[in-house]
Amino acid sequence: MIFSMHAALCRPRLRRMLPTLRRAALAAGSLALAACSVSDILQVDTPDIIQPSDVQSAAGADAVRLGAIARLNFATSGGSSDSEGLFLLSGLFADEWNNGDSFIARQEVDERVITPQNNFLTDVDRLLHRARLSGMQAVQLLRQYKPNGPAADLAEMYFVQAYVETLVGEHYCDGLVFSTVQDGVEHYGQPITTQAAFELALAHADSGLALITGSTAADQKVGNALRVLRGRILLDLDRPADAGPAVSGVPTAFQYQNLHSQTTTDNAIWAYNNVARRYSVSTREGGNGLDFATANDPRVPVCTGGDAACRAIGVTRSDRDDNTRPLYVQMIWTTRDAPVAIVNGVEARLIEAESQLRANDPSWLTTLNALRTDGTFDTRPNAQDPTKTDTLWHAGSGGVAGLKPLTDPGTADGRVDLLFRERGFWLFGRGHRVGDLRRLIRQYGRSPETVFPTGDWHKGGQYGTDVNFPIPQAEQNNPNVAGQGCMNRNA
Amino acid sequence: MRSQSVGRALAQAALLGVLAVCRLGAQEPQQGSITGRVTDAATGQPVAAAQVSVVGTGVGTLTNDQGQYTIRGVNAGRHVVRVLRVGYAERRDTAVVTAGQAATVNFALQAVATTLSPVVTTATGEQRRVEVGNAIGQVDAAKAVATTAVANMGDLLVARTPGVMVFPGTQTGAGTRVRIRGLSSLSLSNNPIYIVDGVRVEGTTGSSSVSVGGTTPARINDLNPEEIESIEVVRGPSAATLYGTDAANGVIVIKTKRGVAGRPRLTYFTEQGFHVDQNQYPDAYRGWRSGSTASNTVQCFLTQVAAGACTQDSVTKYNLYDDPEATPNGLGYRQAHGLQVSGGSEALRYFLHGEWEDETGVLKIPEFDQRYLAAHGLAMRPEEAHPNHLGRISARGQFNIVLSPKASVDVSTGYTSQNVRLPMSDDSGVLGVAGNTYGGPGFKYNLSPTGDTLFGWRQFTPRDIYQTFTNQAIQRSISSLNGDWRPMEWLSLHGTFGLDYINRTDTQLCRFANCPDIGGDSRIGFKIDNRTNFFTYTANATAAATHRLSPVLESNTTAGVQYTRSIFDANYASGVGLPPGAVSISAAATLTASESRTESRTLGGFLEEHLAFRDRLFVTAGVRSDRNSAFGANFKTAFYPKLAVSWVASDESFFPRLGWLDQLRLRMAYGASGVQPGPTDAVQFYTATRTLGESGEATALVFSALGNRNLKPERSTELELGIDGTFWSNRLNVELTHYTKSSKDALVSRVLPPSLGTGSTVRFENLGKVRNSGWEALITAQLIQRDGFGWDIGLNGSTNDNELVSLGGVPPIVLSSTQQHREGYPLYGWWARELLSWNDKNGNGIIEYNADPAVSEIVVSDTARFLGYSNPRWILAFTNGFDVWKRRLRLGAMFDYQGGHKVYNNTERIRCASRNNCSGLINPNASLFEQARTVAVRQHPSRTVAGFIEDGDFIRFRELNLTFTAPEEWANRVFRGRSLTATVAARNLGILWTKYTGVDPEAFGTTGNAPSEFQAFGPPTYYVLRVSLGF
Repeated sequence: MIFSMHAALCRPRLRRMLPTLRRAALAAGSLALAACSVSDILQVDTPDIIQPSDVQSAAGADAVRLGAIARLNFATSGGSSDSEGLFLLSGLFADEWNNGDSFIARQEVDERVITPQNNFLTDVDRLLHRARLSGMQAVQLLRQYKPNGPAADLAEMYFVQAYVETLVGEHYCDGLVFSTVQDGVEHYGQPITTQAAFELALAHADSGLALITGSTAADQKVGNALRVLRGRILLDLDRPADAGPAVSGVPTAFQYQNLHSQTTTDNAIWAYNNVARRYSVSTREGGNGLDFATANDPRVPVCTGGDAACRAIGVTRSDRDDNTRPLYVQMIWTTRDAPVAIVNGVEARLIEAESQLRANDPSWLTTLNALRTDGTFDTRPNAQDPTKTDTLWHAGSGGVAGLKPLTDPGTADGRVDLLFRERGFWLFGRGHRVGDLRRLIRQYGRSPETVFPTGDWHKGGQYGTDVNFPIPQAEQNNPNVAGQGCMNRNA
Repeated sequence: MRSQSVGRALAQAALLGVLAVCRLGAQEPQQGSITGRVTDAATGQPVAAAQVSVVGTGVGTLTNDQGQYTIRGVNAGRHVVRVLRVGYAERRDTAVVTAGQAATVNFALQAVATTLSPVVTTATGEQRRVEVGNAIGQVDAAKAVATTAVANMGDLLVARTPGVMVFPGTQTGAGTRVRIRGLSSLSLSNNPIYIVDGVRVEGTTGSSSVSVGGTTPARINDLNPEEIESIEVVRGPSAATLYGTDAANGVIVIKTKRGVAGRPRLTYFTEQGFHVDQNQYPDAYRGWRSGSTASNTVQCFLTQVAAGACTQDSVTKYNLYDDPEATPNGLGYRQAHGLQVSGGSEALRYFLHGEWEDETGVLKIPEFDQRYLAAHGLAMRPEEAHPNHLGRISARGQFNIVLSPKASVDVSTGYTSQNVRLPMSDDSGVLGVAGNTYGGPGFKYNLSPTGDTLFGWRQFTPRDIYQTFTNQAIQRSISSLNGDWRPMEWLSLHGTFGLDYINRTDTQLCRFANCPDIGGDSRIGFKIDNRTNFFTYTANATAAATHRLSPVLESNTTAGVQYTRSIFDANYASGVGLPPGAVSISAAATLTASESRTESRTLGGFLEEHLAFRDRLFVTAGVRSDRNSAFGANFKTAFYPKLAVSWVASDESFFPRLGWLDQLRLRMAYGASGVQPGPTDAVQFYTATRTLGESGEATALVFSALGNRNLKPERSTELELGIDGTFWSNRLNVELTHYTKSSKDALVSRVLPPSLGTGSTVRFENLGKVRNSGWEALITAQLIQRDGFGWDIGLNGSTNDNELVSLGGVPPIVLSSTQQHREGYPLYGWWARELLSWNDKNGNGIIEYNADPAVSEIVVSDTARFLGYSNPRWILAFTNGFDVWKRRLRLGAMFDYQGGHKVYNNTERIRCASRNNCSGLINPNASLFEQARTVAVRQHPSRTVAGFIEDGDFIRFRELNLTFTAPEEWANRVFRGRSLTATVAARNLGILWTKYTGVDPEAFGTTGNAPSEFQAFGPPTYYVLRVSLGF
């Protein structure tokens, strides 16, 4: 085959070259030795990554548990480099936030015309499922490697799963999917309805609660979080009679917080509204929206870019990223590390109030007013128009926020409106509003045009008709979903 | 299995070694030498650096500066001696060597028009061009540098070789993006690999760990063109097979300059030049209405006029680039001083080079900002006043040491110390220069929130923007040791060892109370200091045996092993919250640190057999096998075969003798090569993160990547067919090539469904198949060749058809709102819902959208459609050269055309969609098309940007140069020197024709596979004076 080799072999002088051949054999042996250790030659270190075997221990399980909490943080109020997290995107879709930048994909969300290719939609979907998967993996690892660990740790992982499943159910259309990775192997989920998602979430919440038998601080925190979450899920399932009792006993002052810091995750609401100005607090968005920015409600304190209040919290710009005005800036979370209570006792009371209202129990108003308390009215000139006067409510000494007491509107619709307005303000910015608007349609018989922003969109064109998020196109890579998307786009 | 395969290859190599040593012990015949002189037949002047070799052996040498040569250790007997030199026709003669005697053979070479070297470098060593079955592109770097305004590698490569797309950067220190024969990879890099003096070197684009927008450095631009003798472009797998895994996107082989034996020759050169931004930037418009003020955004748009919502009181336009008070563009300056020394003896030749370069970009502090600073008693720091700057010191030594008539060693070592400052520009949003110039309000005296006049800038002006100081410091050394040993006349052994080491320090600093005030804690100061070491080791060993099997058949067998190891080792540190005066991370209130390290190793072996029949038919067959650390656990070894045939048909006796035809060659090459996956693409893993809990910060683990145990390299096969001809006494040279490249097992970055919850959004799978095909042509002609006057032209062109043949069952990959990978269409094509038509139905001169199709004045397709290629399909470069005044004065010019593609005018999109200052939104004289695309992006539910994806065809006046070579006596008389050359050159003299309406169809960053113009600068125009003095 190799002519020159063949020619060389035919030479008759080989015998005289035995010493040379020996040297050659040594060289060949060295080469052969090198060949034997090829695997060693190609062996590389990968210090940046953690092998799956490294989490197969109690410490590993604990680290994965913390990872689940971190990912829940990213998915909701913390965001990531790719996404602002669900809370903001949800509020943008509803009436909490207006778009203030040039990204078409964000504008789609604001305008309620979301395409399945929308990258922000896809990114936030990934963030949510990452938190859920981490919770699942942590449950498996904790049960295997830390069976005698604190019950609250394990219960909290069920909380993470249930919380994400609830958020997904509240925001996405029927046809949503929960896949998993178990023992390193992917298992693709089947499309299910939002109703099925809520039932799955309820099951996980129940599993978590069943673990809480003690009374440590951690037990109380996780237990209360699970109770409030159960109540929320039961409302989503249109079981208000069960929801109220589910949250009884949760202290009104209770808070389950996402913590933010200078070095882990920023508070994304602060980052995208107060700093980047890609979001601006809405007011009466699309006609139906609540007047978050202009209500002068102490539950949603808002300043206008450029005014003294904004300057006091470090917001010096008066316009949004797209140079439009006004820029409305929330003042609930005014620093990078401001914690966000993703579940709290106020929500428990609101759940109880709704349960009471649905049961025609007049104490619903008392429950709501218990969250508000005495105080006084005051007036001051309007910051934008000195010819006008703003009336402000100043909190008194008691209650949670010191708000003016509510009065019964006197009609069924009015009561519902009042209840959901209270929910809107109390729970502002924390991923409740889309679920509430959908429940208004689904459970209270409202039409989408009367609850979602409608009509002229503030940047031109018209609001669309979406009442939920579509299944991201990326989910088409799930063989169980290929060719399908939303089963329907109903609320 | 894997070990066995590689073991077999090594065993074959060992066998060859055995044979070599066997023959080493054989009794050697008596030897003599061949000596002589090589001169130019027309002038009688000596020809230096000509390659003189004994045909059928590995024996040869180079002529010295007097054209003299001596080849020692030649077996006694009759030999054919061959001389090769670029610019001259090949010559042969016969020498009869007598033991212990020197045979003398002199050569007088005939100059020819071709600029192609008769010798090319292949993976197995140097070969005559006619013996190689591929067309290998060549760049005469030394000549290009001496006669044109070449500032970097991008300038050196652009438009000089068919099939090579080069996107030069638009700022000083910006990177260069190179694509050869189209795009092959959906998910991996489409960059070629680079070899310098036999050693693999780092050539990544986007090489920075801090962001300044779309402009980033590329490591290939660390190389100094002054140090380069020649560049060869190995275009595809058919030629790159033996370069192994990673070579499928082509190989750029760089040879640095070498010394020529003779007395020391010292050359001093200097470059002095300036550059300006002559691009036309778009006007900003504003539609004034009742309520509009200098500090608000209240406007009246055309569609609002049509709807009766407002009346335009007036429309103003303003272009700050055209206003001397407001423009950030000034005069850039470039200077360089260099010294080269070469010389030596037959035993030791050397080349030494040292150079200092300094280039300042065109950005300056606008006049209005200068006034502001002066009025407030403020001053910018020097580095802030000129935020775009390159400073470089480079040195290289090349030593060719002849240890014995049978052994030689080449030592090459180079060092580069470089600092590049890049401003926040391109896509840097509110913090960037371009984001603020493109986004202006359409009038001059707009006000900031604090009441300062912004002179048409959007939010911030350079006095704030330039305070973000970004610097990249590079310390780089590329060294190689090449050893040759010819134990027998028929056997040569070659070894290479080399290291490319780069130390990169990226820093970004924003001092306390500096930089744009975007609110929050944006002015508390920060510092980023990221330090990265890159190591690329190369170790090669080859053995080549030459044997004449019969009087007409010669065999050359080569076997070799190659080992490459690449290490990326980075430490990242940053600090936020600097006290006044602090510039160090140590002073920051909040510190973060991290590290990253990846490594890749490849071990390959190859065997090649080359047969030459009657020195006119050449057949080469070979195979290479590779193993790589990044392959999946279930994949072991990649095999790449090759077969090439070159036939000089015109040398056959039956071929008709035509007076006008000198040589006709047919060639064919088939080969395979690969692209390796990333170091951890095959692995399943978790990554660490941190979280803040009630008891403080804690480390956490999150599931990241699924991995793929079956991962293997992408495999590209290529068939290349070509015909070369030389005509009319070598005055016309033509190369015509057709290629078909098919990449199978293409690594598809398969999008994972979000519901899976993995950290990685994709997993690499070998699913895809991509096909590239096209034509390449190279024509050089000496139209007039007289003593006093010469006229030569060059034309190189290429076409490329790209198609994603298969995605392996994966649904179409939607990369973004404008790009998709779909079967049957090119990679990285532009996709969007198409703006099908527009019609001013109501005749009011304004295009409007209405949800009712009967009323709406725009029609948009229901689904996304393919709009066009994102990369040029057709490239053509035309050069013209005139030599006058006894050929001492040469005028050269280059024009190039690129077309068949679309460019996304994303700048205009954002101006229309959200900056609210484009013509189509406001200007009543805007064309209906401008209005239609604006309405589509703002009001149609699709928000389609299709109207902004424009034809990208252009013709550019790329180069103009005038070179004067003084008579020797002038140099001698003026400064007692040997030579004097002066060149005046200009680069990028402008676009002569284009359909593109944006700033420039090459105005974009230098990374990615589908660039778009997004708030980017256009390329500047360079004017350079270069003077070279020889001593």
